[in-house]
Amino acid sequence: MITLIRIELWKLLRSKAFYLSFAALSGFVVLMLWGFYSYARQKTSGLATEQFRYTYESRSYFNGLTFTLYSLMFAFSLVIPIFVTMTAGGQIAGERRAGTLRMICIRPVSRVSLVVAKFVVVIIHTYLLLAFFIGLNLLVGLLFVGWGNLELYPGPLNLVDAPGQILRDDALWRFCYASFSGTWALLVVAAIAMLLSICFDNPVTAVSATLAAYLTLYILGRIEFFETLRPYFFSTDMDFWRDVLKPDIPWPDLYHHAATCGAYIFGLLLTAVLVFERKDITS
Amino acid sequence: MWIKLALAVLFTGSLLVAFATRPHVERTARQRGSTQKSLRLLSWNVGNGDLEAETRAHTEDLPAVARVILANNPDAVALQELTGEDQLKQLLAQLENRYRGFVSSRGLSDRVEAVLIRREALTGTVFNDVPSGNRFAAAASFRLQDDWPAIVIVSAHADAFNAATRRRFIGDVVDWTRRRKNDQITFLAGDFNLEVGTRNPNNLFTDDAKHDSESYAYLLKFFADLGREAGETSVNDRRIDYIFGPGSKVKLNRAEVLREAAVGHMDHWPLLVEVGL
Repeated sequence: MITLIRIELWKLLRSKAFYLSFAALSGFVVLMLWGFYSYARQKTSGLATEQFRYTYESRSYFNGLTFTLYSLMFAFSLVIPIFVTMTAGGQIAGERRAGTLRMICIRPVSRVSLVVAKFVVVIIHTYLLLAFFIGLNLLVGLLFVGWGNLELYPGPLNLVDAPGQILRDDALWRFCYASFSGTWALLVVAAIAMLLSICFDNPVTAVSATLAAYLTLYILGRIEFFETLRPYFFSTDMDFWRDVLKPDIPWPDLYHHAATCGAYIFGLLLTAVLVFERKDITS
Repeated sequence: MWIKLALAVLFTGSLLVAFATRPHVERTARQRGSTQKSLRLLSWNVGNGDLEAETRAHTEDLPAVARVILANNPDAVALQELTGEDQLKQLLAQLENRYRGFVSSRGLSDRVEAVLIRREALTGTVFNDVPSGNRFAAAASFRLQDDWPAIVIVSAHADAFNAATRRRFIGDVVDWTRRRKNDQITFLAGDFNLEVGTRNPNNLFTDDAKHDSESYAYLLKFFADLGREAGETSVNDRRIDYIFGPGSKVKLNRAEVLREAAVGHMDHWPLLVEVGL
């Protein structure tokens, strides 16, 4: 198994898509920095307090940790899943497309081990993506925006019900936790992509179908008309990763949604393994 | 084989943990042990749904409003969306003269807010308008017993359609309460039309969630949201009616939305809060 993982990891490191994902996330951070910087300058120029007596958007509010939080929140839902899906969706269908799947499968390794080894590589890539993204945001935030405490207000990020604060050092730990909870949440998308990668011959089809399913449920979950259906969407459970960024972490909720994500991940992976074992590989 | 078995065990284990840790939605009254000095406040927008020709309070609904007030026996009541002083007089009559009341000035609005104070309150109750541009809220200062602190309650109704207008209005009302004497205990009650909870990822009822966030944050700088655990107060599962009070000076004993209380085409339920002083 270790040898299989090492081979799959080597393939990942040799692929351009792997480096493209990090480059794209770096570009996203640059754009976020530009947007955040100009917004913060506009909001602290005094115009807001001319119109309204009070605003929490002060100089202390706009700091590197707030920048990281905003950047992570937006990238997590819509940008990072694309790269995770690309990696996972290409694992089996990509081999088939390249004409190497049959050759891999005639080696004296079980198909189950092959799928698991490929999924382990997807896990590693997902974690590296998140850790890199959070680390880069914190670094950029420190260098260009400055540090302070993480101040949270109800409303825009839909994260808290009441104003709260996380002290700087604690906030850094929370971002560390977020790299793990975020990876776990994203593995649901990865597991779907893995299953579809086995079902479809073309990696593009597998990636598109996964993204279509994820984005559809993500968007529907944000529309009030689907309030009664929302709890049954996997994208709703995936949102648990943000709980570690709340001043008081709601542990029971976090355990529940993390376990639900676990059921999705292992259930889909088990299905993928069973399907792949019985699949007739002719290409 | 062992990998498949491990995956099956992990799948089952995850399902069991998810089931065991499933959240229980609590929308029941929050009730704690009461203290000796307790104050009961009720806030209710008695207006009607937007589809009605008359969206202000209907006079034929007033007997039901009076029944709810008498049944719950609040010390002070904040009502919103009355048509004017005539409706207040009719309501006071139906309350068997147990309450005194005041309606705010109309300003440019077609509806008024009202405060009702139990008649047992000591003499010296003062009613005020709380101005904010051309809108007004109604306020009352009263004392229920000699050894009790003076209480101030404001009945407010923030704009339903414009978040910036709401923000200005809330800023003015909060600042008005901040100018009260320090020994007074001030409560802000009413329909603030703010929805800032995490329940709805996307709120279709506001034109600017950021303004609402600022308004709510400003209120919470000085007050505690006493009805936070009580759940939605209006149709479409909206929690837009609030009673704010000084968290450091009062202890919350009970917060409950009276969901059986609305009659006719009312689109809000009364929020009842009991605090220990």
